[in-house]
Amino acid sequence: MTATTHTAKTPSAGRAGRPKRSDAAKRENRTGWAFMAPFGILFALVFILPIIWAIYSSFFRQVTVGGGAYGGGELVNKFVGLQNFRYVVTSPAFWAGTGRVLLYTLIQVPVMIISALVLAMLLDSFIVRHVTGFRLGYFLPYAIPGVVASIIWVFLYNGQISPIVKALAAIGIQVDFFADNIVIASMANITTWTFTGYNMLIFLAALQAIPHDLYEAARIDGANGLQIAWHIKLPNVRAAALLAMLLSIVGTIQLFNEPQVMAISDPGISKSYTPMMMALNTSQGTLTPGGDGPASAIAIVMALIAGVLAAVYALVERKVNEQ
Amino acid sequence: MSFNKRLVACAAAVAALSMGLAGCGSSANDSSGSSDGVVNITYMHRLPDSEGMTLVNDIVAKWNKEHPDIQVKATKFDGKASDMIKKLETDVKSGEAPDLAQVGYAELPEVFTKGMLQDVTQYAEQYKDHFASGPYSLTQVDGKSYGLPQDTGPLVYFYNKAEFAKLGIDSVPQSADEFIDAAKKAAASGKYIMSYQPDEAGNMISGLAGASGGWYKVKGDAWVVDTETDGSKAVADFYQQLLDAKAATTNPRWDPSFDASIKDGSLIGTVAAAWEAPLFVTSSGGTGSGDWQVAQLGDWFGNAGKTGPDGGSAVAVLKSSKHPKEAMEFLDWFNTQVPDLVSQGLVPAATTEDAETPSEWGEFFGGQDIMKEFKDANNNMGDFTYMPGFSAVVAKMNETAAKATDGSGKVEDIFSDAQTTSVDTLKNLGLSVAK
Repeated sequence: MTATTHTAKTPSAGRAGRPKRSDAAKRENRTGWAFMAPFGILFALVFILPIIWAIYSSFFRQVTVGGGAYGGGELVNKFVGLQNFRYVVTSPAFWAGTGRVLLYTLIQVPVMIISALVLAMLLDSFIVRHVTGFRLGYFLPYAIPGVVASIIWVFLYNGQISPIVKALAAIGIQVDFFADNIVIASMANITTWTFTGYNMLIFLAALQAIPHDLYEAARIDGANGLQIAWHIKLPNVRAAALLAMLLSIVGTIQLFNEPQVMAISDPGISKSYTPMMMALNTSQGTLTPGGDGPASAIAIVMALIAGVLAAVYALVERKVNEQ
Repeated sequence: MSFNKRLVACAAAVAALSMGLAGCGSSANDSSGSSDGVVNITYMHRLPDSEGMTLVNDIVAKWNKEHPDIQVKATKFDGKASDMIKKLETDVKSGEAPDLAQVGYAELPEVFTKGMLQDVTQYAEQYKDHFASGPYSLTQVDGKSYGLPQDTGPLVYFYNKAEFAKLGIDSVPQSADEFIDAAKKAAASGKYIMSYQPDEAGNMISGLAGASGGWYKVKGDAWVVDTETDGSKAVADFYQQLLDAKAATTNPRWDPSFDASIKDGSLIGTVAAAWEAPLFVTSSGGTGSGDWQVAQLGDWFGNAGKTGPDGGSAVAVLKSSKHPKEAMEFLDWFNTQVPDLVSQGLVPAATTEDAETPSEWGEFFGGQDIMKEFKDANNNMGDFTYMPGFSAVVAKMNETAAKATDGSGKVEDIFSDAQTTSVDTLKNLGLSVAK
């Protein structure tokens, strides 16, 4: 409704003072586009274009046609329709990888968000002094690139050189951070370590935006610190929590750095451990069928799954909010 | 404020942007610039270039000084071979690839099939006598040449002689049973005379099994694949017994724990490729220096001690090169710079000059002429033909090999998985497989 009335208004306004205003409007338009251009051009070049290219190439497969044992020394792009997508959807390795990242998301994201929230609440309360130092300290891991963080942790997990493993062994606990069922938790730990501080900062910003009058009013009503946290702070960071959850879900679905780096120490982490790893290794030909076609198909199917998940999460969140 | 002014500003902004973008593209190949008679050749390698070695750039500088009309620029690719191939694959398509690139023998057929190589048979013939015939044939596909061989990777046995003596093992055991007994004895006192390296299984174990006979043969125009040969069974049996007895280390080769096992003196013997010699020197951090030795493989796999290939590279001429003749001229010169290549830890494929053990290695290997051992191993190496798409087989073998370390799989599974992956890969490439 509002949309139709709005568009109905604009042309009539334009008709009234056409000669003058349309010139100004045009110039304004041009200025607007000029300011948009640096972003627009780059966005199109590095985002839109590659996506279109990926969709296009997902309908092709790289095969030999030259005959002979070596195929004549030329790969050609053969149009295969939906064959790549059929391969992805029916590939047990793909679904195993998808299951792995979903499980990972299901456990890691809540743990990380809750710890971030608790940390933010603590820093926002009156218990902690030297907030700046703590804030910086918690945020610091995020400043370390994901691959570097993974490498550091690989050393800390390594049975033969890790001080953690040695210390645990000294008190009688034998751990193998690369054991089959534990390795995924080891990865989740790296992600949590990296991103908790980042999410905490989002929460802290939301908390500090809450008007202090509310606290005073609550105190006059006789509320204690915990009650303030529960009844005032928590409801007020809901929007921030939704954002953080959404970003985290989208991020963990694309799990790549941690398993890729940890595979050096644990060759049992397969080339298709997560869908993103599967896409890369497919494009490199270390998985078969290889090539950009099947790899693009994997990436597209995964993007669809992530999109659906994010949409479902947003819908559920809205329903919960309405109640 | 004219419209023109704004247009100019806008154009300048766009130009600045596209300059930034162009910066990423045109790095490798400027070889078209031959207007003044100078041919520019680019060469991409993955040689170690570590401290104490004759750097590739220094070798190339010698050439450039003597050949003002053929100027070569070498770049080192820091990364895995699979990453480099992917990069070259896209670069060849866009015409930005270097003229010459290092390509492993195991990957050469794959790279050929991907359409990245240029037929240089007419130039290669005249250099044929400069190289050993085995490696030379590995630079060929279907009888045509695509480059020249650089080094070979025969598998040999590295061991710490003093530690062996302490354990009462007088010499490297020559039969499988003797070896396994000795390994058990060593393990009882916390020492290991063999490493099982899951992340190198695809390269090393295929080499050990291949020593007894190849896996891939071409019959007519179709591939005959048999990865479950008697040689494979012997290798599986040998390592399975060692793993069951916990008499071999299971640290992945490229994990820090492998180096740690040499440093702390627990790993005192292992099969390794010849090019790993300088890596042992650095990995050990000096542990056992002077006591390490190189020996030929014993008769452990029922093939009278024959050895197989693990690594070794050719330098190939890429399809987009505009100056294959000059590139090959440089390549023949570069690949015959024997002492310089030896300093990089290579066992050169060139026969023009006798490779001598670098003096820096003398101390660590107790003055042994290990280059002679490598050459002997080279002469005792079985032929192994690699199939296109072999890297997918390697990846699968490594993954399966890891399962054998914790008992969730068997070593023999490596070979059955290699069989199915080989056949799948060939079929997916559109190549025919004989039943």
